[in-house]
Amino acid sequence: MSQEIAVIGSPDFTTGFRLAGVRKFRNVPDDEKDAALDDAVEETLSDEEVGIIVMHDDDLDHLSRGTRESVEGSIEPVLVTLGAEGAGSGGLRDQIKRAIGIDLMEED
Amino acid sequence: MAKDVKPTRKNLMAIEDRIELSERGHDTLEQKRDGLIMEFMDILDQAQDVRSDLSSDYETAQRKIDMARAMEGDVAVRGAAAALKEHPEITTQSKNIMGVVVPQIESSKVKKSLDERGYGLLGSSARIDEAADAYEELLETIILAAEVETAMKKMLTEIETTKRRVNALEFTLLPNLYENQEYIEQKLEEQEREEIFRMKKIKAKKEEAEKEEEEQAAADAAAETEVEAAD
Repeated sequence: MSQEIAVIGSPDFTTGFRLAGVRKFRNVPDDEKDAALDDAVEETLSDEEVGIIVMHDDDLDHLSRGTRESVEGSIEPVLVTLGAEGAGSGGLRDQIKRAIGIDLMEED
Repeated sequence: MAKDVKPTRKNLMAIEDRIELSERGHDTLEQKRDGLIMEFMDILDQAQDVRSDLSSDYETAQRKIDMARAMEGDVAVRGAAAALKEHPEITTQSKNIMGVVVPQIESSKVKKSLDERGYGLLGSSARIDEAADAYEELLETIILAAEVETAMKKMLTEIETTKRRVNALEFTLLPNLYENQEYIEQKLEEQEREEIFRMKKIKAKKEEAEKEEEEQAAADAAAETEVEAAD
């Protein structure tokens, strides 16, 4: 089954992806993120046609703890975050620390 | 724990079998964990490369779209974005790495030619085209990152599970089994010592009784000889 890419974030963030043809997007203006971002993410997570969710790394801070955990741990759809300082999203880095015992993604 | 088992030879043999099985399982799981970590290291290198590509592609794409917004206006960019007809699609296949099923994502319609974009050649500018190009490139890197990061997540979950199993065997199950084995062995040795002691006691008593009997018989025989001699 073919799936699509979904983008969630501010209109400025999603416009570029729409220019590349992404049609599943959720625009959440910056001032509404605390209230509306959780619902947008939950709805996209439950959409079976979505294979990859793209979000800005800073937007993860606006999510509630439960939603953040479920989106970071989700494999289908998988979350790819952009704009992070280090390598990999926070959830992945924590999981590496937990499983391997050391922070392998530490910047040299 | 140790007091829950009955100190019998049958239980001892059963525990010895379980110890053998658990030790074999422990070794196998340890090998699996090490193998998974080595495979994970390979993927991690790849992931770090993809991540750095992702950062640079995102920066480029942002710069291009900011330029397009500045030159053409936000409305024109949004208008072009809304006109897109072809949509990128992804299909997922799977491959197996040491028992972990990881995805292989294939994409189609990510890179599009000008006429496939749908906003028309006259209705847009080179700046918008450049931004669209940059975002298409970014999408390709995102798809690659998704594949690698999903593989990493799955492998990490498997490593965690294997590590928990190894630890459970090493620090809980095997020590308990060793404790039970030692307890039963000690109890059986104690029973054996008691048995030997009892046997020795019985033997001594028996010998004493036999000796008494012999003495009695000898005394009886002497008395009979005396009576006969008197007659």
